[in-house]
Amino acid sequence: MTSAPTPRIELAGVTKRFGSRQVLAGIDLAVAPGESLVIIGGSGTGKSVMLKCILGLIPIDAGSIRVDGQEVAGLKGAALDAHRTRIGMLFQGGALFDSLPVWRNISFALPGSAAERKAAAIDNLARVGLGPEVADLKPAELSGGMQKRVALARAIAARPPIIFFDEPTAGLDPITAAVINNLIRTLVTDLKITALTITHDMASVRHIADRVAMLHGGKIIWQGPLASLDGCDNAHVRQFITGSAEGPIQMPGARA
Amino acid sequence: MIGVLVAIGVPVLAALASIGRLTRFAIRALTRMAQPPWYPAQVAQQMLSIGWLSLPVVGLTAIFTGSALAQQIFIGGSRFNAASTVPAVTVIGVVRELGPVLGGLMVAGRVASAMAAELGTMRVTEQIDALVTLRTDPFRWLVGPRILAAVLVMPFLVLVSNALGVMGGWLLATQRLGFNSAQYLATTARYLEWDDVISSLVKAAVFGFFIALMGCYHGYHSGGGAAGVGKATTNAVVSSFILILLSNLIITVIVFGS
Repeated sequence: MTSAPTPRIELAGVTKRFGSRQVLAGIDLAVAPGESLVIIGGSGTGKSVMLKCILGLIPIDAGSIRVDGQEVAGLKGAALDAHRTRIGMLFQGGALFDSLPVWRNISFALPGSAAERKAAAIDNLARVGLGPEVADLKPAELSGGMQKRVALARAIAARPPIIFFDEPTAGLDPITAAVINNLIRTLVTDLKITALTITHDMASVRHIADRVAMLHGGKIIWQGPLASLDGCDNAHVRQFITGSAEGPIQMPGARA
Repeated sequence: MIGVLVAIGVPVLAALASIGRLTRFAIRALTRMAQPPWYPAQVAQQMLSIGWLSLPVVGLTAIFTGSALAQQIFIGGSRFNAASTVPAVTVIGVVRELGPVLGGLMVAGRVASAMAAELGTMRVTEQIDALVTLRTDPFRWLVGPRILAAVLVMPFLVLVSNALGVMGGWLLATQRLGFNSAQYLATTARYLEWDDVISSLVKAAVFGFFIALMGCYHGYHSGGGAAGVGKATTNAVVSSFILILLSNLIITVIVFGS
């Protein structure tokens, strides 16, 4: 009998409150090494907060977050930095540094001389389908899709074993979104990355996910393999994937 | 009665909490600045942005104010046959007060607002979070270089402001009020003391610290999208103005009060 591998990421009973608002109300979730887990859920359900809690950007109120078996809550200084070296992050808006050229954005956390870092940046640009001519441009000179690709190149530059994707296709046209989805799936497979993605975009879910989980009311209310998503009988999940206005999920502020 | 206590207590507690947050921010910035890694290129870039690019507005303000001051001293002094005090009072007024204070206010208007807007935009677009995920301390990368650059550059700006303010007074006095150029400059030199210059430079460094601190503090804690950045910018300018005027009064009383 073989024991199950240690989850790369494991959340148990994680809670987080902002003032009177309980955003996370006991999250239990595990992501296996090399797995691509996509978390779906409505706006304001705490998906981004959950990612930031795992990164140590937001302290949790209670519960446990373990990455490769190590407890994240309470990490400080060099230990917290070491934890963050294991995780790359693609932010929703790209979060590229406006004042720096593309190559310095990508190689920001890389060691070495300027020439070595620029060469590494150009290599990573190639991985996301962009040419070296982009390297010296400023982020403001790029289209939204190109900015997302550059942000993706920055997220993978240090070859972290885990990458978080926060709404990777938000604000992109369907074709550019498909290109980003393809890139993410290819990178996850080629680089054997453990990926945790949050999105509203069902096309992204179907393209990127090995497994899907739904966050609602501060808890994971359903999770399962991608293949079981369409046959799922959870009313919340059904409403979300069909995009129906009728169902148990009510828009905040909507009249009953 | 309880309503009155609440009406007084709530804003007092809020003000104390704000002072506490600002103090903690300042201590955190200063302690992180003292520890490596340091980013000299960031400091140099900020020195250029704060110092070189503020020269036109500081210089013009000093020339116009120095000229107006000389004119007013001449008018006021003429009432009791003291018009000859124009060079002495102008140099003292400019170097002790107007040069540093107006220079500080001009730089605050230009720089504190720019810092708050830049850091505020970085906050709302998650660039500060991105810095942290890339193992870079925002206090060392963003806040420290701005404070250090402002403290280093402001004394030079105020030296220029003082020189141009005195020159403005000299220009007006010699071209319009009939003063002899050589006598004006000799009187100016005779009444200018080292204490005046040193207090002016100390004020400038203190003002630079407050300008950068308030710009960074309000920008760093900005939230709520574009409106939040706008509010942070306004708060940075207003609070740096108040701190400049308050610290100027304190330094003046300490140095010249006795």
